[in-house]
Amino acid sequence: MTTQLVLPQTALPNTNERLPGVFLAACRSEWTKLRTVRSTMWALVFTVISIIGLGVLLSAIVVGHWDHRSLSEITGFDPLLYSFAGLNVAQLSVGVLGVLVMTSEYATGVIRLTFGATPQRRLLLGAKVLTFSIVVAIVSLISCVTVFFICQAMLASKPAGVSITDPGVLRAVLGGATKMVLIGVIAVGVGAIVRHTAGAVAVLFAVLLIIPGLVQLLPQPWNNDVTLYLPSSAGAAMSAVVRFPNLLAPGPGFLVLLAYAAATIGLAMALLVRRDA
Amino acid sequence: MIEAKALSKRYGKTLAVDDLSFSVEAGQVTGFLGPNGSGKSTTMRMIVGLDSPTSGTVSVGGHAYSSLRFPLHEVGALLDANAAHPGRRARNHLNWLADSNKIPRTRIDEVLTIVGLTEAAHRRVGELSLGMGQRLGIAAALLGDPGVLILDEPINGLDPEGILWVRHLLRSLAAEGRTVLVSSHLMTEMALTADHLIIIGRGRLLSSGPMADFIEKSAGHHVKVVTPDADALVVLLRDKGATVTVEGPQELSVQGLESRDVGVLSSGAGLTLYELSTQRASLEDAFMQLTHEHAEYQGTTRGPEASRS
Repeated sequence: MTTQLVLPQTALPNTNERLPGVFLAACRSEWTKLRTVRSTMWALVFTVISIIGLGVLLSAIVVGHWDHRSLSEITGFDPLLYSFAGLNVAQLSVGVLGVLVMTSEYATGVIRLTFGATPQRRLLLGAKVLTFSIVVAIVSLISCVTVFFICQAMLASKPAGVSITDPGVLRAVLGGATKMVLIGVIAVGVGAIVRHTAGAVAVLFAVLLIIPGLVQLLPQPWNNDVTLYLPSSAGAAMSAVVRFPNLLAPGPGFLVLLAYAAATIGLAMALLVRRDA
Repeated sequence: MIEAKALSKRYGKTLAVDDLSFSVEAGQVTGFLGPNGSGKSTTMRMIVGLDSPTSGTVSVGGHAYSSLRFPLHEVGALLDANAAHPGRRARNHLNWLADSNKIPRTRIDEVLTIVGLTEAAHRRVGELSLGMGQRLGIAAALLGDPGVLILDEPINGLDPEGILWVRHLLRSLAAEGRTVLVSSHLMTEMALTADHLIIIGRGRLLSSGPMADFIEKSAGHHVKVVTPDADALVVLLRDKGATVTVEGPQELSVQGLESRDVGVLSSGAGLTLYELSTQRASLEDAFMQLTHEHAEYQGTTRGPEASRS
Protein backbone atom coordinates (compact mmCIF):
# COMPACT_ATOMS: atom_id res chain seq x y z
CA MET A 1 0.00 0.00 0.00
CA THR A 2 1.14 3.50 -0.73
CA THR A 3 2.46 5.82 1.92
CA GLN A 4 2.26 8.93 -0.23
CA LEU A 5 1.58 11.88 2.01
CA VAL A 6 1.29 15.03 -0.05
CA LEU A 7 -1.86 15.41 -2.09
CA PRO A 8 -1.32 16.34 -5.73
CA GLN A 9 -3.03 19.63 -6.46
CA THR A 10 -5.53 19.64 -9.29
CA ALA A 11 -7.06 22.67 -10.94
CA LEU A 12 -10.67 22.70 -9.82
CA PRO A 13 -13.64 24.93 -10.67
CA ASN A 14 -14.75 27.45 -8.07
CA THR A 15 -17.61 26.78 -5.72
CA ASN A 16 -19.72 29.75 -6.75
CA GLU A 17 -21.34 27.79 -9.57
CA ARG A 18 -24.77 29.01 -10.65
CA LEU A 19 -27.77 26.76 -10.12
CA PRO A 20 -28.14 25.73 -13.81
CA GLY A 21 -24.55 24.50 -13.66
CA VAL A 22 -25.29 22.61 -10.44
CA PHE A 23 -28.36 21.07 -12.12
CA LEU A 24 -26.44 19.94 -15.22
CA ALA A 25 -23.68 18.43 -13.08
CA ALA A 26 -26.32 16.61 -11.01
CA CYS A 27 -27.92 15.26 -14.22
CA ARG A 28 -24.55 14.01 -15.44
CA SER A 29 -23.90 12.41 -12.07
CA GLU A 30 -27.32 10.72 -12.08
CA TRP A 31 -26.67 9.37 -15.57
CA THR A 32 -23.36 7.92 -14.36
CA LYS A 33 -25.20 6.33 -11.41
CA LEU A 34 -27.92 4.86 -13.63
CA ARG A 35 -25.60 3.24 -16.13
CA THR A 36 -23.17 1.79 -13.57
CA VAL A 37 -25.55 -0.58 -11.79
CA ARG A 38 -26.77 -3.77 -13.38
CA SER A 39 -30.41 -3.43 -12.29
CA THR A 40 -30.89 -0.56 -14.76
CA MET A 41 -29.89 -2.64 -17.75
CA TRP A 42 -31.98 -5.65 -16.70
CA ALA A 43 -35.09 -3.56 -16.02
CA LEU A 44 -34.78 -1.82 -19.39
CA VAL A 45 -34.20 -5.11 -21.25
CA PHE A 46 -37.28 -6.52 -19.54
CA THR A 47 -39.22 -3.40 -20.53
CA VAL A 48 -38.28 -3.73 -24.20
CA ILE A 49 -39.04 -7.45 -24.25
CA SER A 50 -42.46 -6.99 -22.63
CA ILE A 51 -43.53 -4.19 -24.95
CA ILE A 52 -42.40 -5.85 -28.17
CA GLY A 53 -42.85 -9.51 -27.18
CA LEU A 54 -46.35 -9.27 -25.72
CA GLY A 55 -47.56 -7.01 -28.54
CA VAL A 56 -46.34 -9.41 -31.20
CA LEU A 57 -47.69 -12.47 -29.34
CA LEU A 58 -51.19 -11.04 -28.85
CA SER A 59 -51.35 -9.67 -32.38
CA ALA A 60 -50.45 -13.14 -33.69
CA ILE A 61 -53.35 -14.62 -31.69
CA VAL A 62 -55.75 -11.96 -32.99
CA VAL A 63 -54.69 -12.63 -36.59
CA GLY A 64 -55.18 -16.35 -36.06
CA HIS A 65 -58.71 -15.94 -34.71
CA TRP A 66 -59.82 -13.05 -36.90
CA ASP A 67 -62.30 -15.12 -38.96
CA HIS A 68 -64.22 -16.17 -35.81
CA ARG A 69 -64.87 -12.57 -34.73
CA SER A 70 -68.33 -11.03 -34.69
CA LEU A 71 -69.09 -7.87 -36.61
CA SER A 72 -69.35 -5.80 -33.42
CA GLU A 73 -65.97 -7.01 -32.27
CA ILE A 74 -64.50 -6.05 -35.60
CA THR A 75 -66.07 -2.59 -35.75
CA GLY A 76 -65.06 -1.80 -32.14
CA PHE A 77 -61.52 -3.11 -32.65
CA ASP A 78 -58.74 -0.80 -31.50
CA PRO A 79 -55.85 -1.65 -33.81
CA LEU A 80 -53.35 -0.62 -31.13
CA LEU A 81 -54.99 -2.38 -28.16
CA TYR A 82 -53.15 -5.64 -28.80
CA SER A 83 -49.98 -4.06 -30.15
CA PHE A 84 -49.61 -2.08 -26.94
CA ALA A 85 -50.77 -4.79 -24.52
CA GLY A 86 -47.16 -5.09 -23.30
CA LEU A 87 -47.26 -1.55 -21.90
CA ASN A 88 -49.30 -2.85 -18.98
CA VAL A 89 -46.43 -5.13 -17.97
CA ALA A 90 -43.68 -2.72 -18.96
CA GLN A 91 -45.11 -0.02 -16.70
CA LEU A 92 -44.32 -2.32 -13.77
CA SER A 93 -40.64 -2.76 -14.67
CA VAL A 94 -40.28 0.95 -15.40
CA GLY A 95 -42.06 1.60 -12.09
CA VAL A 96 -39.73 -0.64 -10.11
CA LEU A 97 -36.68 0.95 -11.72
CA GLY A 98 -38.05 4.41 -10.94
CA VAL A 99 -38.63 3.45 -7.31
CA LEU A 100 -35.06 2.09 -7.11
CA VAL A 101 -33.63 5.40 -8.36
CA MET A 102 -34.46 6.74 -4.89
CA THR A 103 -34.83 3.77 -2.56
CA SER A 104 -31.57 2.01 -3.49
CA GLU A 105 -29.79 5.14 -2.27
CA TYR A 106 -31.61 5.00 1.05
CA ALA A 107 -30.96 1.26 1.39
CA THR A 108 -27.21 1.60 0.78
CA GLY A 109 -26.68 4.94 2.55
CA VAL A 110 -25.58 6.56 -0.72
CA ILE A 111 -28.29 9.21 -0.26
CA ARG A 112 -26.04 10.88 2.33
CA LEU A 113 -23.23 11.17 -0.19
CA THR A 114 -25.70 12.41 -2.79
CA PHE A 115 -27.07 15.15 -0.52
CA GLY A 116 -23.53 15.90 0.63
CA ALA A 117 -22.45 16.45 -2.97
CA THR A 118 -25.62 18.35 -3.97
CA PRO A 119 -27.26 19.93 -0.90
CA GLN A 120 -29.89 21.57 -3.17
CA ARG A 121 -32.30 18.68 -2.65
CA ARG A 122 -35.23 19.85 -4.80
CA LEU A 123 -32.87 20.53 -7.65
CA LEU A 124 -31.31 17.12 -7.13
CA LEU A 125 -34.67 15.36 -7.34
CA GLY A 126 -35.39 17.37 -10.49
CA ALA A 127 -32.12 16.09 -11.98
CA LYS A 128 -33.00 12.51 -11.08
CA VAL A 129 -36.47 12.86 -12.64
CA LEU A 130 -35.17 14.45 -15.84
CA THR A 131 -32.35 11.95 -16.32
CA PHE A 132 -34.57 8.95 -15.68
CA SER A 133 -37.32 10.40 -17.90
CA ILE A 134 -34.95 10.77 -20.84
CA VAL A 135 -33.76 7.17 -20.49
CA VAL A 136 -37.32 5.86 -20.24
CA ALA A 137 -38.48 8.07 -23.11
CA ILE A 138 -35.79 6.76 -25.45
CA VAL A 139 -36.33 3.10 -24.54
CA SER A 140 -40.15 3.36 -24.63
CA LEU A 141 -40.28 5.30 -27.88
CA ILE A 142 -38.03 2.83 -29.67
CA SER A 143 -40.05 -0.10 -28.29
CA CYS A 144 -43.44 1.45 -29.10
CA VAL A 145 -42.48 2.41 -32.65
CA THR A 146 -40.94 -1.02 -33.25
CA VAL A 147 -43.92 -2.98 -31.90
CA PHE A 148 -46.30 -0.73 -33.82
CA PHE A 149 -44.73 -1.46 -37.20
CA ILE A 150 -44.30 -5.19 -36.57
CA CYS A 151 -47.89 -5.66 -35.34
CA GLN A 152 -49.49 -3.52 -38.01
CA ALA A 153 -47.61 -5.47 -40.66
CA MET A 154 -49.08 -8.67 -39.14
CA LEU A 155 -52.63 -7.21 -38.95
CA ALA A 156 -52.44 -5.84 -42.49
CA SER A 157 -53.22 -9.31 -43.85
CA LYS A 158 -56.66 -8.87 -42.24
CA PRO A 159 -58.62 -5.63 -42.69
CA ALA A 160 -57.44 -4.44 -39.26
CA GLY A 161 -54.09 -2.73 -39.69
CA VAL A 162 -53.65 1.03 -39.55
CA SER A 163 -50.99 3.32 -40.93
CA ILE A 164 -48.93 5.69 -38.81
CA THR A 165 -50.46 8.49 -40.92
CA ASP A 166 -54.06 7.55 -40.02
CA PRO A 167 -55.88 9.96 -37.68
CA GLY A 168 -54.85 9.59 -34.05
CA VAL A 169 -52.33 6.80 -34.66
CA LEU A 170 -49.10 8.73 -34.34
CA ARG A 171 -50.55 10.47 -31.26
CA ALA A 172 -51.35 7.08 -29.72
CA VAL A 173 -47.82 5.74 -30.36
CA LEU A 174 -46.28 8.83 -28.77
CA GLY A 175 -48.91 8.64 -26.03
CA GLY A 176 -47.84 5.09 -25.17
CA ALA A 177 -44.22 6.16 -24.73
CA THR A 178 -45.23 9.28 -22.78
CA LYS A 179 -47.36 7.18 -20.44
CA MET A 180 -44.29 5.11 -19.58
CA VAL A 181 -42.30 8.27 -18.81
CA LEU A 182 -45.02 9.66 -16.52
CA ILE A 183 -45.44 6.35 -14.69
CA GLY A 184 -41.64 6.35 -14.22
CA VAL A 185 -41.74 9.89 -12.82
CA ILE A 186 -44.54 8.94 -10.41
CA ALA A 187 -42.43 5.94 -9.33
CA VAL A 188 -39.38 8.13 -8.58
CA GLY A 189 -41.61 10.39 -6.50
CA VAL A 190 -43.16 7.46 -4.61
CA GLY A 191 -39.64 6.14 -3.95
CA ALA A 192 -38.59 9.51 -2.51
CA ILE A 193 -41.71 9.71 -0.34
CA VAL A 194 -41.66 6.12 1.00
CA ARG A 195 -37.83 5.62 1.00
CA HIS A 196 -38.07 1.81 1.33
CA THR A 197 -38.02 -0.36 -1.79
CA ALA A 198 -40.64 -2.90 -0.74
CA GLY A 199 -43.02 -0.28 0.62
CA ALA A 200 -42.68 1.99 -2.40
CA VAL A 201 -43.18 -0.89 -4.88
CA ALA A 202 -46.26 -1.98 -2.92
CA VAL A 203 -47.72 1.54 -3.06
CA LEU A 204 -47.03 1.85 -6.76
CA PHE A 205 -48.49 -1.55 -7.65
CA ALA A 206 -51.53 -0.85 -5.48
CA VAL A 207 -52.16 2.37 -7.39
CA LEU A 208 -51.69 0.76 -10.80
CA LEU A 209 -53.21 -2.71 -10.26
CA ILE A 210 -55.30 -3.02 -7.11
CA ILE A 211 -57.11 0.30 -6.71
CA PRO A 212 -58.73 0.10 -10.19
CA GLY A 213 -60.34 -3.22 -9.14
CA LEU A 214 -61.51 -1.83 -5.81
CA VAL A 215 -63.01 1.25 -7.45
CA GLN A 216 -65.16 -1.02 -9.60
CA LEU A 217 -66.86 -2.19 -6.39
CA LEU A 218 -68.22 1.31 -5.74
CA PRO A 219 -71.93 1.81 -6.53
CA GLN A 220 -73.00 3.01 -9.95
CA PRO A 221 -72.19 5.52 -11.40
CA TRP A 222 -69.36 6.39 -9.00
CA ASN A 223 -67.31 3.38 -10.03
CA ASN A 224 -67.11 4.46 -13.67
CA ASP A 225 -66.77 8.16 -12.90
CA VAL A 226 -63.85 7.60 -10.52
CA THR A 227 -62.23 5.04 -12.81
CA LEU A 228 -61.96 7.67 -15.55
CA TYR A 229 -59.56 9.67 -13.42
CA LEU A 230 -57.35 6.88 -12.06
CA PRO A 231 -53.71 6.96 -13.22
CA SER A 232 -54.07 3.57 -14.90
CA SER A 233 -57.13 4.66 -16.91
CA ALA A 234 -55.65 8.04 -17.75
CA GLY A 235 -52.57 6.22 -19.04
CA ALA A 236 -54.63 3.76 -21.06
CA ALA A 237 -56.52 6.65 -22.68
CA MET A 238 -53.23 8.07 -23.98
CA SER A 239 -52.40 5.07 -26.15
CA ALA A 240 -55.90 4.33 -27.50
CA VAL A 241 -56.97 5.15 -31.06
CA VAL A 242 -60.62 4.19 -30.70
CA ARG A 243 -62.45 6.18 -28.01
CA PHE A 244 -63.62 3.75 -25.29
CA PRO A 245 -66.63 4.79 -23.17
CA ASN A 246 -64.78 4.02 -19.91
CA LEU A 247 -61.75 6.16 -20.80
CA LEU A 248 -61.09 9.87 -21.14
CA ALA A 249 -60.02 11.31 -24.48
CA PRO A 250 -56.22 11.12 -25.02
CA GLY A 251 -55.58 14.81 -24.28
CA PRO A 252 -57.43 14.92 -20.95
CA GLY A 253 -55.93 11.53 -20.09
CA PHE A 254 -52.45 12.98 -20.56
CA LEU A 255 -53.29 16.00 -18.41
CA VAL A 256 -54.66 13.81 -15.61
CA LEU A 257 -51.56 11.59 -15.55
CA LEU A 258 -49.33 14.67 -15.75
CA ALA A 259 -51.16 16.12 -12.75
CA TYR A 260 -50.55 12.91 -10.77
CA ALA A 261 -46.83 13.06 -11.66
CA ALA A 262 -46.55 16.74 -10.72
CA ALA A 263 -48.37 16.22 -7.42
CA THR A 264 -46.18 13.22 -6.49
CA ILE A 265 -42.95 15.07 -7.28
CA GLY A 266 -44.19 18.18 -5.47
CA LEU A 267 -44.90 16.19 -2.32
CA ALA A 268 -41.57 14.36 -2.63
CA MET A 269 -39.67 17.67 -2.91
CA ALA A 270 -41.44 19.11 0.13
CA LEU A 271 -40.59 16.02 2.19
CA LEU A 272 -36.96 15.78 0.98
CA VAL A 273 -36.26 19.31 2.19
CA ARG A 274 -37.97 18.81 5.54
CA ARG A 275 -36.69 15.38 6.52
CA ASP A 276 -33.24 14.50 7.85
CA ALA A 277 -31.27 12.24 5.54
CA MET B 1 -12.72 26.11 9.99
CA ILE B 2 -15.89 24.70 11.51
CA GLU B 3 -17.92 26.67 14.01
CA ALA B 4 -20.90 25.40 16.01
CA LYS B 5 -23.00 27.82 18.04
CA ALA B 6 -25.52 26.58 20.61
CA LEU B 7 -26.22 23.56 18.43
CA SER B 8 -29.08 21.32 19.59
CA LYS B 9 -30.84 18.35 18.06
CA ARG B 10 -33.90 16.67 19.48
CA TYR B 11 -35.26 13.31 18.29
CA GLY B 12 -38.65 12.86 19.91
CA LYS B 13 -37.96 12.90 23.66
CA THR B 14 -34.19 12.47 23.37
CA LEU B 15 -31.93 15.48 23.25
CA ALA B 16 -29.11 14.01 21.16
CA VAL B 17 -27.10 17.25 21.02
CA ASP B 18 -27.57 19.83 23.73
CA ASP B 19 -26.43 23.44 23.34
CA LEU B 20 -23.09 22.49 21.82
CA SER B 21 -20.64 25.24 20.88
CA PHE B 22 -17.13 24.66 19.61
CA SER B 23 -14.77 25.65 16.85
CA VAL B 24 -12.40 23.50 14.82
CA GLU B 25 -9.33 25.37 13.64
CA ALA B 26 -7.31 24.91 10.48
CA GLY B 27 -3.79 23.50 10.50
CA GLN B 28 -4.28 20.91 13.20
CA VAL B 29 -5.97 17.58 13.72
CA THR B 30 -8.94 17.92 16.04
CA GLY B 31 -10.07 14.74 17.74
CA PHE B 32 -13.79 14.42 18.42
CA LEU B 33 -14.34 12.11 21.38
CA GLY B 34 -17.26 10.88 23.38
CA PRO B 35 -18.80 7.64 24.61
CA ASN B 36 -21.19 5.73 22.35
CA GLY B 37 -24.42 7.62 21.83
CA SER B 38 -22.93 10.91 22.97
CA GLY B 39 -24.01 12.71 19.79
CA LYS B 40 -20.78 12.68 17.74
CA SER B 41 -22.33 11.30 14.57
CA THR B 42 -25.41 13.49 14.88
CA THR B 43 -23.16 16.53 15.23
CA MET B 44 -21.15 15.51 12.17
CA ARG B 45 -24.34 15.00 10.15
CA MET B 46 -25.49 18.49 11.12
CA ILE B 47 -22.14 19.97 10.03
CA VAL B 48 -22.63 18.62 6.52
CA GLY B 49 -26.30 19.60 6.34
CA LEU B 50 -27.81 16.10 6.37
CA ASP B 51 -29.72 16.67 9.60
CA SER B 52 -31.05 20.12 10.41
CA PRO B 53 -30.48 21.40 13.96
CA THR B 54 -33.49 21.84 16.23
CA SER B 55 -31.82 25.10 17.27
CA GLY B 56 -28.43 26.75 16.89
CA THR B 57 -26.20 26.96 13.84
CA VAL B 58 -23.10 25.34 12.43
CA SER B 59 -20.97 26.73 9.63
CA VAL B 60 -18.06 25.49 7.56
CA GLY B 61 -15.66 28.19 6.39
CA GLY B 62 -18.24 30.78 7.39
CA HIS B 63 -21.11 29.29 5.37
CA ALA B 64 -23.92 26.89 6.16
CA TYR B 65 -23.06 23.67 4.33
CA SER B 66 -26.42 23.52 2.57
CA SER B 67 -25.79 26.92 0.97
CA LEU B 68 -22.62 25.68 -0.77
CA ARG B 69 -22.55 24.99 -4.51
CA PHE B 70 -20.28 22.04 -5.33
CA PRO B 71 -19.39 21.56 -1.64
CA LEU B 72 -16.95 18.70 -2.28
CA HIS B 73 -14.32 21.30 -3.20
CA GLU B 74 -14.55 22.76 0.30
CA VAL B 75 -15.55 19.89 2.56
CA GLY B 76 -14.74 16.20 2.33
CA ALA B 77 -16.69 13.93 4.66
CA LEU B 78 -16.50 10.26 5.56
CA LEU B 79 -19.55 9.54 7.68
CA ASP B 80 -20.23 5.92 6.78
CA ALA B 81 -17.71 3.92 4.79
CA ASN B 82 -20.40 1.41 3.81
CA ALA B 83 -22.34 4.11 1.97
CA ALA B 84 -21.79 2.81 -1.56
CA HIS B 85 -23.87 0.68 -3.92
CA PRO B 86 -22.43 -2.86 -3.64
CA GLY B 87 -23.02 -3.58 -7.33
CA ARG B 88 -21.16 -0.52 -8.59
CA ARG B 89 -17.46 -0.65 -9.40
CA ALA B 90 -15.19 1.33 -7.07
CA ARG B 91 -14.06 3.70 -9.82
CA ASN B 92 -17.65 4.38 -10.90
CA HIS B 93 -18.54 5.20 -7.31
CA LEU B 94 -15.95 7.97 -7.48
CA ASN B 95 -17.01 8.89 -11.04
CA TRP B 96 -20.57 9.87 -10.12
CA LEU B 97 -19.34 11.84 -7.11
CA ALA B 98 -16.82 13.66 -9.30
CA ASP B 99 -19.46 14.40 -11.95
CA SER B 100 -21.82 15.92 -9.38
CA ASN B 101 -19.25 18.60 -8.48
CA LYS B 102 -17.52 18.98 -11.87
CA ILE B 103 -14.34 17.40 -10.57
CA PRO B 104 -12.17 16.29 -13.51
CA ARG B 105 -11.95 12.52 -13.98
CA THR B 106 -8.13 12.75 -13.82
CA ARG B 107 -8.50 13.50 -10.12
CA ILE B 108 -9.92 10.01 -9.60
CA ASP B 109 -6.63 8.37 -10.52
CA GLU B 110 -4.89 10.71 -8.09
CA VAL B 111 -7.10 9.82 -5.11
CA LEU B 112 -7.00 6.11 -5.99
CA THR B 113 -3.20 6.34 -5.83
CA ILE B 114 -3.30 8.22 -2.53
CA VAL B 115 -5.46 5.57 -0.85
CA GLY B 116 -3.76 2.66 -2.60
CA LEU B 117 -6.81 1.33 -4.43
CA THR B 118 -5.58 1.67 -8.02
CA GLU B 119 -5.40 -2.10 -8.46
CA ALA B 120 -8.86 -2.67 -6.97
CA ALA B 121 -10.64 0.18 -8.76
CA HIS B 122 -12.36 -2.14 -11.24
CA ARG B 123 -13.86 -4.32 -8.49
CA ARG B 124 -17.45 -3.99 -7.35
CA VAL B 125 -17.84 -2.27 -4.01
CA GLY B 126 -19.50 -5.38 -2.55
CA GLU B 127 -16.35 -7.38 -3.30
CA LEU B 128 -14.02 -5.05 -1.39
CA SER B 129 -12.71 -5.94 2.05
CA LEU B 130 -13.68 -3.85 5.08
CA GLY B 131 -10.37 -2.00 4.95
CA MET B 132 -10.61 -1.38 1.20
CA GLY B 133 -14.14 -0.02 1.67
CA GLN B 134 -12.75 2.36 4.28
CA ARG B 135 -10.04 3.47 1.87
CA LEU B 136 -12.67 4.07 -0.82
CA GLY B 137 -14.60 6.24 1.65
CA ILE B 138 -11.44 8.24 2.36
CA ALA B 139 -10.82 8.57 -1.39
CA ALA B 140 -14.33 9.99 -1.77
CA ALA B 141 -13.64 12.52 0.99
CA LEU B 142 -10.40 13.63 -0.68
CA LEU B 143 -11.95 13.83 -4.17
CA GLY B 144 -12.54 17.59 -4.28
CA ASP B 145 -9.17 18.40 -2.64
CA PRO B 146 -11.13 20.08 0.19
CA GLY B 147 -9.80 22.45 2.82
CA VAL B 148 -11.98 20.85 5.48
CA LEU B 149 -12.12 17.12 6.26
CA ILE B 150 -14.67 15.48 8.53
CA LEU B 151 -14.04 11.81 9.22
CA ASP B 152 -16.19 9.61 11.45
CA GLU B 153 -14.22 6.56 12.65
CA PRO B 154 -11.85 6.51 9.64
CA ILE B 155 -9.70 3.65 10.93
CA ASN B 156 -12.49 1.14 11.49
CA GLY B 157 -11.54 -2.12 9.83
CA LEU B 158 -8.03 -1.06 8.88
CA ASP B 159 -5.00 -3.23 9.55
CA PRO B 160 -2.04 -1.81 11.56
CA GLU B 161 -0.39 -0.60 8.39
CA GLY B 162 -3.62 1.11 7.32
CA ILE B 163 -3.98 2.76 10.73
CA LEU B 164 -0.44 4.11 10.47
CA TRP B 165 -1.21 5.35 6.97
CA VAL B 166 -4.34 7.21 8.12
CA ARG B 167 -2.35 8.77 10.97
CA HIS B 168 0.28 10.09 8.55
CA LEU B 169 -2.38 11.18 6.06
CA LEU B 170 -4.34 13.19 8.64
CA ARG B 171 -1.20 14.78 10.06
CA SER B 172 0.04 15.76 6.59
CA LEU B 173 -3.38 17.16 5.63
CA ALA B 174 -3.32 19.30 8.77
CA ALA B 175 0.28 20.32 8.07
CA GLU B 176 -0.87 21.60 4.67
CA GLY B 177 -3.14 24.00 6.56
CA ARG B 178 -6.38 22.04 6.22
CA THR B 179 -9.01 21.69 8.92
CA VAL B 180 -9.28 18.06 10.07
CA LEU B 181 -12.02 16.83 12.41
CA VAL B 182 -11.79 13.13 13.22
CA SER B 183 -13.69 10.91 15.61
CA SER B 184 -12.47 7.59 16.92
CA HIS B 185 -13.09 5.18 19.75
CA LEU B 186 -9.43 4.16 19.82
CA MET B 187 -7.82 6.41 22.43
CA THR B 188 -4.26 5.28 21.84
CA GLU B 189 -4.59 6.12 18.14
CA MET B 190 -6.25 9.44 18.87
CA ALA B 191 -3.42 10.29 21.29
CA LEU B 192 -0.94 9.85 18.43
CA THR B 193 -2.98 11.68 15.79
CA ALA B 194 -4.78 14.64 17.34
CA ASP B 195 -3.41 17.99 18.47
CA HIS B 196 -6.64 19.32 19.82
CA LEU B 197 -9.62 17.62 21.45
CA ILE B 198 -13.33 18.23 21.60
CA ILE B 199 -14.98 15.87 24.07
CA ILE B 200 -18.73 15.52 24.40
CA GLY B 201 -20.99 13.40 26.60
CA ARG B 202 -24.78 13.13 26.41
CA GLY B 203 -24.69 15.75 23.68
CA ARG B 204 -22.95 18.36 25.85
CA LEU B 205 -19.46 19.77 25.60
CA LEU B 206 -17.26 18.30 28.35
CA SER B 207 -13.90 19.67 27.29
CA SER B 208 -12.24 21.49 24.43
CA GLY B 209 -8.57 22.35 24.18
CA PRO B 210 -5.08 21.15 23.32
CA MET B 211 -4.49 17.44 23.93
CA ALA B 212 -1.56 17.95 26.36
CA ASP B 213 -3.49 20.44 28.48
CA PHE B 214 -6.43 18.10 28.67
CA ILE B 215 -4.39 15.15 29.88
CA GLU B 216 -2.51 17.24 32.43
CA LYS B 217 -5.67 18.90 33.72
CA SER B 218 -7.74 15.73 33.95
CA ALA B 219 -5.27 13.17 35.18
CA GLY B 220 -1.98 14.98 35.90
CA HIS B 221 1.29 13.11 36.21
CA HIS B 222 3.41 11.47 38.89
CA VAL B 223 7.04 10.52 39.45
CA LYS B 224 7.97 6.87 39.64
CA VAL B 225 10.89 6.07 41.95
CA VAL B 226 12.56 2.69 42.42
CA THR B 227 14.99 2.64 45.36
CA PRO B 228 16.36 0.15 47.92
CA ASP B 229 15.98 2.93 50.55
CA ALA B 230 12.26 3.39 50.14
CA ASP B 231 11.40 3.91 53.80
CA ALA B 232 13.94 6.70 54.29
CA LEU B 233 12.94 8.43 51.04
CA VAL B 234 9.22 8.36 51.92
CA VAL B 235 9.95 10.34 55.08
CA LEU B 236 12.06 12.90 53.19
CA LEU B 237 9.46 13.33 50.44
CA ARG B 238 6.55 13.73 52.84
CA ASP B 239 8.54 16.40 54.74
CA LYS B 240 8.70 18.33 51.45
CA GLY B 241 4.92 18.11 51.14
CA ALA B 242 4.73 15.47 48.43
CA THR B 243 1.99 12.86 48.29
CA VAL B 244 3.67 9.45 48.25
CA THR B 245 2.05 6.15 47.48
CA VAL B 246 4.01 2.96 48.20
CA GLU B 247 3.56 0.81 45.10
CA GLY B 248 5.87 -2.04 46.18
CA PRO B 249 8.78 -2.85 48.53
CA GLN B 250 11.11 -0.66 46.42
CA GLU B 251 8.71 1.38 44.33
CA LEU B 252 7.10 4.73 45.11
CA SER B 253 4.70 6.95 43.25
CA VAL B 254 5.21 10.65 44.01
CA GLN B 255 2.83 13.51 43.32
CA GLY B 256 3.52 17.16 44.10
CA LEU B 257 7.23 17.09 43.27
CA GLU B 258 8.99 16.90 39.91
CA SER B 259 11.52 14.16 39.18
CA ARG B 260 14.31 16.74 39.33
CA ASP B 261 13.37 17.61 42.95
CA VAL B 262 13.24 13.94 43.92
CA GLY B 263 16.70 13.36 42.45
CA VAL B 264 18.26 16.36 44.24
CA LEU B 265 16.63 15.33 47.50
CA SER B 266 17.80 11.72 47.41
CA SER B 267 21.37 12.49 46.37
CA GLY B 268 21.59 15.08 49.18
CA ALA B 269 20.60 12.31 51.64
CA GLY B 270 22.96 9.79 50.00
CA LEU B 271 20.11 7.50 48.96
CA THR B 272 20.51 5.19 45.96
CA LEU B 273 18.00 5.37 43.09
CA TYR B 274 17.56 2.58 40.54
CA GLU B 275 14.90 4.40 38.53
CA LEU B 276 13.47 7.90 38.44
CA SER B 277 10.94 8.86 35.79
CA THR B 278 7.97 11.12 35.14
CA GLN B 279 4.81 9.13 34.33
CA ARG B 280 2.23 10.99 32.30
CA ALA B 281 -1.34 9.76 32.23
CA SER B 282 -2.58 8.33 28.95
CA LEU B 283 -5.38 9.95 27.00
CA GLU B 284 -7.48 6.96 27.94
CA ASP B 285 -6.92 7.62 31.68
CA ALA B 286 -7.75 11.27 31.24
CA PHE B 287 -10.84 10.48 29.19
CA MET B 288 -12.11 8.03 31.81
CA GLN B 289 -11.43 10.58 34.58
CA LEU B 290 -13.38 13.23 32.73
CA THR B 291 -16.39 11.11 31.88
CA HIS B 292 -16.56 9.84 35.48
CA GLU B 293 -16.51 13.36 36.83
CA HIS B 294 -19.80 13.90 35.10
CA ALA B 295 -22.49 12.50 37.27
CA GLU B 296 -24.70 11.28 34.46
CA TYR B 297 -22.20 8.58 33.57
CA GLN B 298 -21.67 7.10 37.01
CA GLY B 299 -24.84 5.06 37.00
CA THR B 300 -24.17 3.69 33.54
CA THR B 301 -20.57 2.58 33.92
CA ARG B 302 -19.66 -1.00 34.70
CA GLY B 303 -16.39 -2.86 35.03
CA PRO B 304 -12.99 -2.17 36.56
CA GLU B 305 -12.79 1.47 35.44
CA ALA B 306 -15.67 2.34 37.72
CA SER B 307 -13.62 1.72 40.87
CA ARG B 308 -10.72 3.89 39.79
CA SER B 309 -12.31 7.28 40.38
